[in-house]
Amino acid sequence: MKKQSPDNSARSRRAGLILSLSALALILLLLFLPLMRASTTVYSKKSANTFVGDEKYLAVRAEVEAAAAAYGDVTITEDVTLREKSDGTQSSMVAFSAAVARGLNAPRLLKSGLPSGLLPPALLLCAALCLLLSLARPRWAQSLGVGFGILSLLCVPAFAMLTTRVFARTIGAVLSGARQADISAYLSAADRLLYDGQAGENIRSLLGGMQFRYTPWLWALLPACFALLCGALLIMNARLGSALGRGALYAFIIALCVIILYPYYVMFITGLRTPAETNDMYFLHMLPVRWMWSNFRDIIDRGVLRYLGNSLLLSLGATGVSLACGIPAAYAMARMRFRGKKAFLGFVIMSQMFAPVVLLVGISQLMNFLRLNDTVVGLMLINAAFNQAFAIWLLRGTFVSISSEMEQAACIDGCTTFGALVRVLLPMAAPGIVTTLIFVFINAWNEYTISTVLISTASKKPITVGITQFSSFNMIEWHYLFASALLATIPVVILFLCIEKHLVAGLTSGGVKG
Amino acid sequence: MDTILVRRKWEPYLWLLPSLILMTVFVVFPILIVFKLSFSEISRAGTVGGFVGLNNFKAAVQDKAFGTVMKNTAVWVVSVVGISTLLGFIIAMALNSEFRGRKIARSIVVFPWATSLVIQASAWNYIIKYEYGNLNNVLLNLGILKNAVNWRASYQIEFAWECGVGIFVTIPFVTFCVLAGLQSIDAAYYEAATVDGAGFWKKLRHVTLPLVRPSLTVSTVLNIIYVFNSFPIVYTITKGAPANKTDTMVTLLYMRAFYDQQKGPATAMSVIGFVILCIVAGVYMIMSMRGEEDL
Repeated sequence: MKKQSPDNSARSRRAGLILSLSALALILLLLFLPLMRASTTVYSKKSANTFVGDEKYLAVRAEVEAAAAAYGDVTITEDVTLREKSDGTQSSMVAFSAAVARGLNAPRLLKSGLPSGLLPPALLLCAALCLLLSLARPRWAQSLGVGFGILSLLCVPAFAMLTTRVFARTIGAVLSGARQADISAYLSAADRLLYDGQAGENIRSLLGGMQFRYTPWLWALLPACFALLCGALLIMNARLGSALGRGALYAFIIALCVIILYPYYVMFITGLRTPAETNDMYFLHMLPVRWMWSNFRDIIDRGVLRYLGNSLLLSLGATGVSLACGIPAAYAMARMRFRGKKAFLGFVIMSQMFAPVVLLVGISQLMNFLRLNDTVVGLMLINAAFNQAFAIWLLRGTFVSISSEMEQAACIDGCTTFGALVRVLLPMAAPGIVTTLIFVFINAWNEYTISTVLISTASKKPITVGITQFSSFNMIEWHYLFASALLATIPVVILFLCIEKHLVAGLTSGGVKG
Repeated sequence: MDTILVRRKWEPYLWLLPSLILMTVFVVFPILIVFKLSFSEISRAGTVGGFVGLNNFKAAVQDKAFGTVMKNTAVWVVSVVGISTLLGFIIAMALNSEFRGRKIARSIVVFPWATSLVIQASAWNYIIKYEYGNLNNVLLNLGILKNAVNWRASYQIEFAWECGVGIFVTIPFVTFCVLAGLQSIDAAYYEAATVDGAGFWKKLRHVTLPLVRPSLTVSTVLNIIYVFNSFPIVYTITKGAPANKTDTMVTLLYMRAFYDQQKGPATAMSVIGFVILCIVAGVYMIMSMRGEEDL
C-alpha cells in the first residue's frame, strides 16, 4: 500500500466527517417520516341495487361517513360491481369501506409506549456514538465506534421485526385465541397510536382487521446507516478508496451470507411450526407463534431415528470400503512408476463421467444378480465405488505433497513397502486422510437417487429417502419434513466445517499442482 | 516426483487391485449392462430379450418429450455451470481478500455443499409456494411486497427457479476450487504488477485469470458432469410437470425406466447422454488444457 501525504489524509478525513454527518442528518430526518403505515377498515357496508350517484348511493355514503367520522381522517373506497341480468337490464352493487390509515413515525411510536418505539431513538444514539467514537484518538474507542455503527445497522431490521412481533404476534395470537396473556397495556397503547383513542371497546375487532405495512422509508435507513459506517471507517483510516471498497466488500459478503443462510432459516422455523401455520395462506408471522419442539418427538415416533441409523451405517461402511481401496491405489499413484499409470487415471476420470443416475437401470440389474437388492450393504458398495475417484484424487494429492525421504529411509532400514506406508506415511498424511474420510462420508450421507431405486423396505431406508415419506402425493407435512431435514443436515454441516480449511489445501495439491 | 523403490515389477498393480475390483464390479459392469440393454429388447415386465439393433434409440428419439428435454438439458447445463462459475469466481475473489470475519464467511459459503440436494430442493420448493411459501411471507412482512406474488406462475418460471437452485448449490464447489487456485498464486506476481502500474482489472486479466485457469478447468469439467447428471432438484420441485416440459434428460430417463416401464428406450437415453457428455467435457478439456502438461 502506498503511504498518503498528510495533506491528502486530512482531506479524506474531512470527507469522512462530512459523509458521516450527512448520514446522521439523513437518519434523523428519516425518523420523522412515516416508517410504517397501519390501515384498518373501521366500517364497511354493501348496498345492493345501487347505482353510483343515485339517491340510495348518497344515503349510504352519508351513513358510512357518519359512522367513520369519529376516527378523524378516513378514506372511503367504493367497489362497484355491475352485472347484466337475464332480462337485459343492469344491476349494480356498491361496497363501501371506510379505512383509517396512520403513518407512524418514530416520535409517535415512542410516545405510544409500545416497546418497539424505543428502537428508533436507540438507532439514533448508536449512530451518534459511532460518529463520536470514531473521532476519538485511542484505538479501542475507534473499534467501539465501528461496533456502534454495526449496531445502528442492525437496529433497522430489529425495529421492523419487533414491531411486527408486538402487533402481529403478541396481539394477533391473543386475539385469535392461540395464546393467553395480558395485553391490555398493548391494546390501549395501540388504540392511542392508531385510532386516537377513539376505538374503546371495538379495539379488538379493529386490530383483528388491521393491515400493517412498512414503507420504503424504513429501508432507506439501511443505506443511511451504511453510509455512516463508511464515513466512520474513513475518519479512522483516512483512505477514501479503500474505505469505500471495504464497505462494498462487507456489504457483498453480508448479502451473500444472508442469501445462503435463508433456506436454513426456512427449515428451522418451518420445522418448529404447527401444521396449521405451515399451510396457512394468510399466515404472516416471521417466527412461529408457538415453538413446537414436540415435532422432533413426533418424527422420532415415525421412525426417523431408524433412518438416521441406516444413513450412519451406510456412510461409515462406504467410507471404510472407499478408503481401504483408495489408500493403496493413491499410494501407488503417488509413489510408484509403472506402465498403465495414465490409463488407470483415465479410468478413474471416466468413472466420474457416469453418475449413478444414468446407470440406474444397470445398477439395479447388477444388484439383482448379486442378491444385494434392497440391502444397505449394496448401497454401501455402490457409494464406495462412485466415490473412489474423489478419494484417490484427494489422497494422491496429500501423498504427493509429503516428501518421500522418510519412507525411503524406512525402506533402507528393512521396512517393507507396506510397513513404510502404515508406519511412516499414514501418520504424516493424517489431515488429508481425515479430509477424504469426511468428504466420502458426507457424499454417502447425502446420496439420494440410488437409494430411492434400490431400497424398497421402509426400515432399510436412509434418511434422505426417509424424509420423503412426509411428502405424499396430495399432502406434504412440511413441519415434519423440515424437522427431519434439520436432523439430517446439522451433523454433516458440522463435519464439513471441520474439513473446510483442509479442503482448499486438498483441492490445490490434488488437482492443480499435480 | 518422489518415487520409492519397488522390488517386484507387478507390485504396483497389486496396490491398485482392490480399487480396480471395486470399480470394475460396481461401475464398469453397470456401464456394460446399460450398453447391452440399450441394444436389447426389454418387455414391460423387465425380462431381457434378444438383440434389436437401434430400435431402442429410435424409440428414445421419437419420444414426444425428447425435443423439449434436450433443449431443457442444454439450458440447464449451460446456465447452471456458466452462472455458477462466474458467481463462484467473484465470491472466491471476495473471500480471498483480508477482512474481519473471513473464516465465518467461508464456513457459511460451504453450507449448501454440505447439504443433501433433496433437502435443499425441498426447502426451495416450500419457499416459492404461492399460497403459503416463505418468500412471500418474508417479503410481505418486511413491507417489500404489497401483495403475494405467484413465484411459479408458469412452467418456464419454475424451470428458471430450478436453474437458480442448481446455481445456488453449485457455487460453493466453484468457489472453493477457485479459492484453492488463488491461494497458490505467489504474492510476488501482484507486487510486480503493482510496480508496473497495473490496476485492478489489468491484474485480474494478466495475473489472476491465467494462474487460476487450471482450477477453473477442473471445476468446470466436473461441474458439467455433475450438473448434467443432477437429478434431485428437478425431481423434487416439479417432477417434470406439466407433461415433461420441465424435465431434463436424467429425470426423463428415470421416469421412463421406473414409472413408465420403458427400460429399453431409457437405457438408450443413458447412452445418448453419455456420448453427449463425453463430447462436451472432452472438447472443453482439450480446449482449455491445450499446451499445458498437467500430471
